[in-house]
Amino acid sequence: MPTINWNDRELEYDSSRFVKGTGHFVDDIKIQGMLFMTVLRSPYARARIISLKGGISSKDLGAKIASVGEGASEGEASSVEPIFASGFVNYVGQPVAAVFAEDRYKSEDLLDSVEVDYEPLKPVVTIDEALSSPPIHKGMKSNILSEAVKGQDFSDPSSPIVLEDTLENNRISTNPIEPRGLVASFEGGVLNVWASTQAVHSVKNGLAETLGLSKDKVRVMQADTGGAFGSKGGIYPEYAIASFASMKYGKPVKWIETRREHLTSTNPGRGVRGKMKIFSEKNGKITGMKGEIMVDAGAYGSGSGGFSVPFIESMMTGAYAIEKAFVTGKALLTNKVPQGPYRGAGRPEASFFIERMLDLLADEMKMDPADVRLLNMSDKPFNSPLGMKIDAARPFFETAVRELEYRREAKLAKGVGLSFFVLVPGTYTGESARMIVKDGKIGVWLGGNSHGQGHETFIRKLINEELDVSKELVTVYRGDTSVTKDGEGAWGSRSAILIGAAIVAICKKLRTEVEKEFGSYSSESLLSRDHDEYVFDEKPFSLTSFGANLATVEIGRFGNVRVKKCNAYYDVGRALNREMVLGQIHGGMAQGIGQTLHEGLFYSEDGQLITSSISDAGVPLAEDLPNFGVKIAENRSSLPHGAKGLGEAPTIGVPTALIRAVEKASGKRLRKTPVMPEDLIE
Amino acid sequence: MRIVKIRTRVNGKDIQSEVEPRELLVHFLRENLGLTGVHIGCDTSNCGACTVLVDGKAVKSCTMLAVQVDGREVTTIEGISKNDELHPLQKAFLEKHGLQCGYCTSGMILTSYWLLKNNKNPTEEEIRKNLSGNLCRCTGYQSIIESVKYGAQLMMKEKEKEEQQIEVR
Repeated sequence: MPTINWNDRELEYDSSRFVKGTGHFVDDIKIQGMLFMTVLRSPYARARIISLKGGISSKDLGAKIASVGEGASEGEASSVEPIFASGFVNYVGQPVAAVFAEDRYKSEDLLDSVEVDYEPLKPVVTIDEALSSPPIHKGMKSNILSEAVKGQDFSDPSSPIVLEDTLENNRISTNPIEPRGLVASFEGGVLNVWASTQAVHSVKNGLAETLGLSKDKVRVMQADTGGAFGSKGGIYPEYAIASFASMKYGKPVKWIETRREHLTSTNPGRGVRGKMKIFSEKNGKITGMKGEIMVDAGAYGSGSGGFSVPFIESMMTGAYAIEKAFVTGKALLTNKVPQGPYRGAGRPEASFFIERMLDLLADEMKMDPADVRLLNMSDKPFNSPLGMKIDAARPFFETAVRELEYRREAKLAKGVGLSFFVLVPGTYTGESARMIVKDGKIGVWLGGNSHGQGHETFIRKLINEELDVSKELVTVYRGDTSVTKDGEGAWGSRSAILIGAAIVAICKKLRTEVEKEFGSYSSESLLSRDHDEYVFDEKPFSLTSFGANLATVEIGRFGNVRVKKCNAYYDVGRALNREMVLGQIHGGMAQGIGQTLHEGLFYSEDGQLITSSISDAGVPLAEDLPNFGVKIAENRSSLPHGAKGLGEAPTIGVPTALIRAVEKASGKRLRKTPVMPEDLIE
Repeated sequence: MRIVKIRTRVNGKDIQSEVEPRELLVHFLRENLGLTGVHIGCDTSNCGACTVLVDGKAVKSCTMLAVQVDGREVTTIEGISKNDELHPLQKAFLEKHGLQCGYCTSGMILTSYWLLKNNKNPTEEEIRKNLSGNLCRCTGYQSIIESVKYGAQLMMKEKEKEEQQIEVR
C-alpha cells in the first residue's frame, strides 16, 4: 500500500524497537485523508429494532460474517452473525450502525446523530435459560447451536465407587493490552488492510467472502500485534464494516477498539460446564467415565462455540488410561457476545473436568492425589475411547512428581495441589513459509503471525543450523498475504512445530539446489544466487506432550488467596530458545492463575456486562503473582527440529493444580473458576 | 469547538500548540506530536500502557487532559535515551527479555524509571507493588521484575563511573 510510509526495515519483527517506543502498531498508522470509524452498539442483550436512522447500517451492508479462523465452524444459517444487527439485536455491544469522521473525537460525536428505537425483549442469559427458553433466533427449533457425541455409550457398571459432580469454567476476556484494530484502504481495485492479527490469511479469506471480493483483490498485512491470545485469529463485523466504508467513501478508514468494546464485543473464551460421572474399582482404578458438557456459545455460531463441543469431548479422559468413556455435549445460544478461542481453547476446560474428578476420587479413597493419578496411568501408549492418542504417561508423571518435589511439599504445607495433563496442539492444516534469498540476505515470511512469541528468534536459529547462515543476514517479516499464497495462523500451540517444520523443509530444498549447482553446499554459494522458495506443509500431524504443575497457597482471613508457589514441569520437546520458552510458560502461568482466582466476565439477569473495565475483568497485577518455578524436559519430537507444542500448556495445567491447592487449604470442595474470596469464608 | 493555546516542554523541546480543551494528553502526544511510543490500552487508567512522566512523575496520560500540561514538562519513552544511547532500563528490558508483544513496554519502562529515581535499589516486593498500575498480559511479570532489578544495577554502575570520572578530573 503506497500510502503507508513504513519502510522495508520497519516491516520486520524486531522487539528492540519496543523499548524505544518505535514499534508499528496499527493505531500508529497515519494516512492523509483517513477517516476514523466509531461503532454504535446495542445497549440491550435482546431487543427488536423498531426504527434506525443515520450512519451506515444493515440497509447498506446486509452481509453475514464469514466463518474463518481458529476453530471456526459453519453454524445453521439463522445463527450466523450479521455484520450489522438486522431487525433484532442479540447481545450488548452488537454493532448496529457505524459513523465516520476525520478524527476519533468528531467520530464519537457523530454517534449522537444516529437514532435507534428499540423494543426490549426478555434475554436468554444463562445455559439453563437457553435450555428452557424458546429459540432466540427465528427459524431455529431450539437454542441448541450444535450437538456432538464422543465414545460408545455403556450401561452403568455396578462399581463400588461412583462419583458425580458438576464443574464449570466461567467466561474470560482475552484482554491483550493492545485492543483490536485495523486500517482499510481501497485503492486501484484492491482492498488493502493493516491489522493487529494472529492470521493475515484468515482476515483475507473472511473479508473476501463477506464482502464478495475475489481473494486476489484483498491484501492483508500485519502491524506489530500487541498480544492476541486467540481473539485476533479471525474476522469480526467491524473489520468488514471498515473495509466496506473504505470502498464506499474512497478513503482509508481506521477502527481502533476501546477496552469497553473489547469486553462487550470481542469473543471471550471458556464459558463451559461439565457434568461428570466416574466409575471406580475399590482400589481407585477408574473403569469408566460419562460426561455431559454445555458450551455457552453466545448469540451466534460465528465464534468457536460449535467447534468447542467435540474438541473438548475428545480430551475428557485426560492423560489417563480409562477404558470406557462416553460424552455428550451441546453448544447453546444465549444473548451474549459469541464465544471464541482463548489460550487453551477447550483444552483447559476438558482438563479441569477430569482433574477435578481425580482429586474427588483421591479424597473419597483417602489416597494421595498423586497416587490415584499414577494408578490410572499407562506405561504404554494409549488410545483413548474418545479418540485421543497419548504416549506412555506414567514414566513422565513419576519424573514430574520428583522434579516438582511434590511429596516433600505436601508434607510441609496444607494447601498444595498437583495436576497432570496432555497438550494436544492444533496442527490442522499445516502452515506456510516463504524464504527469499537476494543480495546476499535472506527474507522470511510466515503464514501464521507472531504476536509476541518471538518467532524470529527460533527461525534465525534453525536457518543458522540448517544453512550455516549467520543470524544477522536473516530478516523475518510480519505477515503479508501478497507474499505468502496461503496460510493458517499462530494459535493452538502450533508455531514452533509447524513453522519450524516448514522452515527446515525450505532449508533442505535450498541445500539440495546449491549442491546440484555447485557440487557441494556452502553458505557463500547459497547467498551468491537468488532463490525464492515457498512451502505449505499440508500434512496435519499431531504431537502431544505432557505437563505437570504444582501450586501452594495460603488463604487470608477474608478469603484472599496468596499463591506461594506455582511451579511447572513440562515436556517442550527441544527448546529452540530457552528464554523464549520460559517467557511463554511464565505468561501462560499468569493467565492460569488469573482464570482460577481473578478473572471472569459476569452478566446481570438482563444480560448487561457487569465487569466492564479491564480491572473488573480481573487481569492479574504484578503484586498478585509469585515467582514461577519452571523446569523443562526436552524429549525431542519426531520432527527434524525436535519441537513440540508449548504455548497453551500453562493455561491447562495451572488452574487444576491451583484450585486443588485452594481446596486443600480451605477444606471446601471447589467446582468452578474463578474461585472468589466469598466462596472460601463461612 | 473552542481552541486553547498551551506551552509545554516535551522531551526537552519547547512546544507551543493549540488543542481542544477535551483532548486527552495521550492523543495530544500521539496525534499532534507523533510520539507513538505512548499507547492506549484500557481507557480507565488501569493498564498503564499510556504512562508518561509529567514534571518527573509517572502519570497515566489517558486520564489527563492536554491542557493540564500547560507550563509543565513531559517525558515520553522517546525522550529517555541520550544521543541514540539506550537508557540502562531500555538495555535491561532487552537483555532480560522484559517484553513479548511490546505494547506495555514503554509504560513499564517509564514507571520503573520513576521508581528507580525514588528508590535506587528496590526489593522484588517493592518493584511488584510499584508496577501494579501497569498491566502485562504476556510475560507473567517475572522477566519484567528481573529487568528492573538489572536496570537498577546498571544505573548504579553508571553513577559510580560518572563519580569516578569527576574525581579524576
